[in-house]
Amino acid sequence: MSRHQYAMVMDLNKCLGCQTCTIACKKLWTDRDGTGYMYWNNVETRPGLGYPRQWDRIGGGWKDGSLQPSPLPTMDDYGHAWEYNYEQRLYEGKKQPVMPSPEPKSGCNWDEDVGGMNEDENYFFYLPRICNHCTHPACLEACPRKAIYKREEDGIVVIDQDRCQGYRYCIKACPYKKIYFNEVTGKSEKCIFCYPRLEKGQVNACAAQCPGRLRFVGLLDDPESPVHKLVLIHKIALPLFPEKGTQPNVFYVPPFNPPKRENYGKSIQEDPRVPLDYLIYLFGPEVEDVIVRLEAELKKTQEGGRSEALQLLIGRDAETRFHVRPQLVQIQL
Amino acid sequence: MRIRQPLIIASGVLLLSSMISAQAGTKPTPGQSLSVSISSASADHLLNGGPAAWNQIAVKRVALNRTPPLYDTDEPATLEIPSVDVRIVRAGGKLLVQLNWRDPTHDAVTLTDVPNTPPETRFRKVQTEANDRFFDAAAVMFPAKPGLDAIAPSLQMGDAEHPVDIYYWNATRGAMLMQAQGRGTTHRNAQSFPVNSTYQNGQWNVIFELPDLPSGTTVAFAVWNGSQKDRDGRKYFSIWQVLE
Repeated sequence: MSRHQYAMVMDLNKCLGCQTCTIACKKLWTDRDGTGYMYWNNVETRPGLGYPRQWDRIGGGWKDGSLQPSPLPTMDDYGHAWEYNYEQRLYEGKKQPVMPSPEPKSGCNWDEDVGGMNEDENYFFYLPRICNHCTHPACLEACPRKAIYKREEDGIVVIDQDRCQGYRYCIKACPYKKIYFNEVTGKSEKCIFCYPRLEKGQVNACAAQCPGRLRFVGLLDDPESPVHKLVLIHKIALPLFPEKGTQPNVFYVPPFNPPKRENYGKSIQEDPRVPLDYLIYLFGPEVEDVIVRLEAELKKTQEGGRSEALQLLIGRDAETRFHVRPQLVQIQL
Repeated sequence: MRIRQPLIIASGVLLLSSMISAQAGTKPTPGQSLSVSISSASADHLLNGGPAAWNQIAVKRVALNRTPPLYDTDEPATLEIPSVDVRIVRAGGKLLVQLNWRDPTHDAVTLTDVPNTPPETRFRKVQTEANDRFFDAAAVMFPAKPGLDAIAPSLQMGDAEHPVDIYYWNATRGAMLMQAQGRGTTHRNAQSFPVNSTYQNGQWNVIFELPDLPSGTTVAFAVWNGSQKDRDGRKYFSIWQVLE
């Protein structure tokens, strides 16, 4: 266990699927050679294939103290990066239309807004994903080079690019498939929770740019932080696939009450738009208690009361949503 | 937590005995000796002169073993490459080692050259073409202090008292020098070394140019088969051989 643990909470009720977080991350970290297909932050439609395809079903993580097997996703599962022929069109005077190459056949959020059916009603929601910076990271355990480490001062999981030899055991071990192989460098890469920004007192790029203001960042063990309050006090945020055994430090407020037709949704236990079974699949059985808690908070405000939990979830300003403590992450060399 | 199974559990009796005999503190038996030819040709001629340059050099077939599964999550692998043919010649102050082995799958690609200009200044970046391929490779390992050690280092990348040098060649990424002091400590320094590799008729032929090593030096060989997803300790290895 690290001395402190940075964590993120994402409120899925507020995610627009606009991919601003994805682009913020990409421009900052993966606009390099070999990284075109990588999205350290991605937003996928749920239910759906996910990115890489079927990542939630192919394996990895822990069971009874042992790492679980998994194949490596292929480039078709991620989607090859494509480029557009701007040079020919704009500079060489070719009359052909601007076209992507290679022909896109799969990719990040390829099945956007397809979703699923609940009886005769379509439903979907967006699931933004970054590395979970797990308390018990399977990737770290799987690396024979000891190239992956969890920062003692803040719990961020990073890959030492000098030690990494590109063996990819970590990719197989990660049940969230949030590590990517860069064939140009021959090494693996992943989300670094924007630690260089945090060390300067700036919040993660994905969280800073989010127009939906659905991301909350802070130390899980800091009683003043929004993540501490949402996860440990109000108990309305849960990790993804807790049964994978890695103890993620990214938490989600589940989509709890979208109405089917009317202005107000009924209780998920009465007339769910998003089937409870699917939420249990993603977040475990505890999700039902969380939704009941959220519905009670909503009812309280609808009856004229005040809900601390919902006020926090509104996240009006950066001070509410982010609690970055640069003084805690001074590395003593 | 247990991910690394004890090596001995999964290994067969033959492998087990060969590994025990290869532990630090044992001397290789005479059956493990490798004859070293002397050549008046230049090292460069032997490296780049083609098969004719090696006509007169004695060959020894060295048995390869398959490492047992190192991790619980490893897919099992069969012994597809049972041996490697080794020729060694001393020439021009160098030791040239030719490894020849049969591998029906040619796991090597030419990666796109990365321009020297910063990626942000370019229209196009070099892209990752595949993330699930591994490449054929081979290596020669010997004690970092040849001649000074009376006993052979641990076969598992040496040990704290007996560091090893590893001359590693990868069919895609080329030659690189490594040093190690035990399993998991392998460290690439930035250096390369002269190597020549050809693949023909399902056969790899790789010539390593090593510094001259005194007779009595122990050397060991390793071969990786990319299509068996070999990398790291997932490989074929020989036990220590002794240069005559």
